[in-house]
Amino acid sequence: MALEDVPRLGCGRSIDEVWAGIDQPPTGHEEHCQYCQTARTRLQRLQEATVALRESDLHDPELKPRPGLTRAIMDVARAEVRRGNRLLVRTTDHGTIEISEQALDSLIRIAATAIPGIHSRRCRIDIRTLPNSPHETTSTARAPRLVINFRVAAAAGIDIPKTVDALRQKIRTAIPAGIGIDAGTINITVEDLYDV
Amino acid sequence: MDDHGPGPEPDEGDEGSIVARAQDGDLAAFEHLVIAYQDRIFRLAYRMLNDRLDAEDVVQETLTSSWRSLPLLADVNAFGAWLYRLATNKCLDLLRRRSTHAETSTDPDELLGIGEHGFPQAPAGTDPADQAQWSAQQEGLAAVLNTLPPAQRACWLLREIHGRSYTEISDTLKISPTTVRGMLARARHHIAEGMGQWR
Repeated sequence: MALEDVPRLGCGRSIDEVWAGIDQPPTGHEEHCQYCQTARTRLQRLQEATVALRESDLHDPELKPRPGLTRAIMDVARAEVRRGNRLLVRTTDHGTIEISEQALDSLIRIAATAIPGIHSRRCRIDIRTLPNSPHETTSTARAPRLVINFRVAAAAGIDIPKTVDALRQKIRTAIPAGIGIDAGTINITVEDLYDV
Repeated sequence: MDDHGPGPEPDEGDEGSIVARAQDGDLAAFEHLVIAYQDRIFRLAYRMLNDRLDAEDVVQETLTSSWRSLPLLADVNAFGAWLYRLATNKCLDLLRRRSTHAETSTDPDELLGIGEHGFPQAPAGTDPADQAQWSAQQEGLAAVLNTLPPAQRACWLLREIHGRSYTEISDTLKISPTTVRGMLARARHHIAEGMGQWR
């Protein structure tokens, strides 16, 4: 659609031009042009009505969805919750031990809440089983190693290296305390800064 | 460990982190977003559709489909824009489906009867004379809004009531920013004229 489609007044000016100056006193042309005066009056009335409609819609208790809607939406979300993968943490002679990625994820996020100036974001966890070293003799000695890729937002103005070290240390302590295996590699990416 | 995990931090202003956590399946983070956006989406849908139940359906469908596609959202800071886009397009789809069933009325007198909450009340304490003028303007605006073509109405509502950017509206309606400006100018012209006639 071309700019020529913009409505024009009898004097040739566009509605946009009048609208752009609606908060200013009338120009010399507008003071003497009947078309512009009519348009200004109408657009001023529209501007007032627009502000009033925006405010009244915002505060009108009737203009809200029914109270049960949040629950209905959350019920669907809960039924379709993404639990993520299960991670094999250990293979013993008597069977395997797995943990859901989400459970591990929660441990990491709880640890992150203890560090001021850090908001956790996405978290991806892999488990790599290291090849047996020549000195190891049994399968039970094979150590799985967590590789955590954790993305965060940091408060603007904080000391990022120091804070990220503190976060890494917190996670390094929380994982063995929570599930009894070493934290392995913890890659932390500060992908955004937020204003405090 | 329950579904909710540690949940969002109490301080606001970092929606991106809450979106990222919801992308990883954190229900508490998602619920926070639902509560933050459901009223806004409802107000947009109600003004687009003039029907409470249809507007509630749009809110529900927009937010549940956002949960499903959330992991695919590349920019966590674009969540609001993305949600508005989903909701606007659902409204436009619904209006297209309606128009294939019946011709939409553009008679303002007839449209005045639509929607039990179409015309908001003046704020309490308003002087009766001001109140009469206030509500006349409101009724005029709400009635004329209903006579705009759907895309023009969406454009006007997104810009003037919801304060969305020209770029975002152009992405939502799949038209150029220049066309958005032209469409807005025509909407303002049409509404200003219509309100004049209505009075």
